Amino acid sequence: MSGAFFELSGETGRLRLLLADTWKSRSLLWMLARKDFFVRYRRASLGVFWAAGLPLLQLIVLAVVFSRVVRIHSQVNYVTLVFAGLVPWTFFSTALASASTAIVDGADLSTKVYFPRAVLPLVSVGSAAYGLGINVVLLVAVAAFEGVPIRASFLLLVPAAALVGLLTAAFALVLSALHVYFRDVRYVVQAAMAVWFYATPVFYPFRLAQSHGLAGLLSVNPMAGVVQVFRAAVTGTDGALGLPLWWTGGWIAALFLAAALLYRRYDRVFVDLL
Amino acid sequence: MRLVGVGKRYVKYEDAPMLVTRLAGLRTRTRRSSLWAIRNVDFELQRGDVLGVIGRNGSGKSTLLRMLAGVTAPTEGTVMVRGRVAPLISVGVGFHPELTGRENVYVNGTILGLSRQEVDRRFDEVVDFAEIPAFIDTPVKFYSSGMFVRLGFAVAVLAEPDVLLVDEVLAVGDIAFQLKCYDRMQQIRDRGTTIVVVSHNLNAVRLLCPRVMVVHDGAVRFDGAAEEALALYHDLLGPQPDEAATIDEERAAEVEEFLLLGADGSDSSTFSSGEEVRIRLSVRFLEPVNGVVFGISLVSEEGVPVYSDSTNWEGTGTFSTGQRAVFEAGFRLSVPTGSYTVGVGLRRADRPVSLARTPRPRMIYVAGRHTVNGAADLGARFRVADHAGPDEAV
Repeated sequence: MSGAFFELSGETGRLRLLLADTWKSRSLLWMLARKDFFVRYRRASLGVFWAAGLPLLQLIVLAVVFSRVVRIHSQVNYVTLVFAGLVPWTFFSTALASASTAIVDGADLSTKVYFPRAVLPLVSVGSAAYGLGINVVLLVAVAAFEGVPIRASFLLLVPAAALVGLLTAAFALVLSALHVYFRDVRYVVQAAMAVWFYATPVFYPFRLAQSHGLAGLLSVNPMAGVVQVFRAAVTGTDGALGLPLWWTGGWIAALFLAAALLYRRYDRVFVDLL
Repeated sequence: MRLVGVGKRYVKYEDAPMLVTRLAGLRTRTRRSSLWAIRNVDFELQRGDVLGVIGRNGSGKSTLLRMLAGVTAPTEGTVMVRGRVAPLISVGVGFHPELTGRENVYVNGTILGLSRQEVDRRFDEVVDFAEIPAFIDTPVKFYSSGMFVRLGFAVAVLAEPDVLLVDEVLAVGDIAFQLKCYDRMQQIRDRGTTIVVVSHNLNAVRLLCPRVMVVHDGAVRFDGAAEEALALYHDLLGPQPDEAATIDEERAAEVEEFLLLGADGSDSSTFSSGEEVRIRLSVRFLEPVNGVVFGISLVSEEGVPVYSDSTNWEGTGTFSTGQRAVFEAGFRLSVPTGSYTVGVGLRRADRPVSLARTPRPRMIYVAGRHTVNGAADLGARFRVADHAGPDEAV
């Protein structure tokens, strides 16, 4: 939002003002996020069912391929295990696909009126959060359908969703800022996602990596910690939670710091390159 | 609103910055050049002030407006704005194409810092003003450009902003809506809103803005009374790109003066529609010439020839070396409001050769009646005939 007063001298802004402005823009953020989510499905006859339908389809494919064809063995219900990984992954990858280009795509609005540019990538994340909400509910339904006992640990899904939201927001802020200067970022993200999917314990249990001595390496991936919290809520963690979670926290802190520096310097000049 | 020594520099990369080379830490020298879009701007506006900004494309006026909107920060100097700034209204208003008109009103209201209830309260007024009740629930990507601008303008004034920035919006939309916008802008100005209008539409600027700033080549050339600003602007507009010289030139004569005299007999760049003007060309002959054709032309801003004429093709007069002569052409400027160029030419009667170096055409501004559209003002007189009684002039 445009504050009641502003004074600009030099291109670098003041971080405290920027944070205050961003905080004040939260109602704008949610309004845009809600619109963005519903507009996406507006012209489809099945509407928001697509938000739930696509991950379900992917779940069926993964479940069939990896339990029947590749035969990954799991002590817990495999379908639930895969879906617990797929829900945060789908959110992470769809949100970043649109968030990384958000500042460039938002040129229509942002060249006309000032609001903190960080709002734009956060809107993409917020919009994807609606899908995440639907899928978390779906996850509980799938678990119940598969006969997994619904325990108190399911409440962990709430902080788990918050964690993946935070991680995604951190990546979104940094990538969207970089994308203004380096238009390759969009393709780098696309390419990275294809690889990243396999480096994340989505369709295999964390234990599989442990048994190959790759647990340390896998933990560096911030999404591993996220998936493990989802698993902790639904099917159990194979005992690996602390180390990957530390890494996830470290990534979030580092990315937010980078974002703060980037937006402090470039918030008011992104427009020059749009 | 105060600007002190404001300047904005853009850096133009000759090569696209390469992510890969940056990541690899390679010190590749990216060739880049920088350009000051605008520099050394100082001015101050109080509540209720209206400032017009005119200048050619690329003169830096849009950059200036963007800085006033807070959308981009100045490279040097300080921009201080107190109060709520409305979005820059222009032809591509800050609308989300997929959202409906209604949703865009709410989004823009929120950006302006209004609460949902405040937007609710003013919603009907906005729709009413924009004259689009039937389309308010249609995604704006299906809007015509006129509807787009109408809604944009309506939304911008919705929040009763302290600062309203208008960019070229008045060029679009029909006359009736333009007049409605003028009225509205005058209303909100009277309530204390500071307005900055950037436009090529000199008529709009003249109507709205007592104070006009001329921006040229990234610098403020003039800041003051509208009439003076418009005259200076016309001088800056030349030299016009030569309209492909079609005939050869020789130096048999020299144009000493090219004047445009208005009804009061003095040289001017602004006239009113229907005014009797005289083109006066003072010439000194450098060699004997037998028979001269004197031609004039009037071309509209869009490059449409409105009128051209000349003395008869046999030519007039015989002139000896060193002789001075004054060629005059008087005519009535029966054209609607707008900018025009007046061109003159001297030709030998016996062959198609220009006698002298053709002086560059002069830009003029004609102020006329709002109701007139088209290439010429033929001065219609309207009347309504009442069948029951005698004719009555309206």
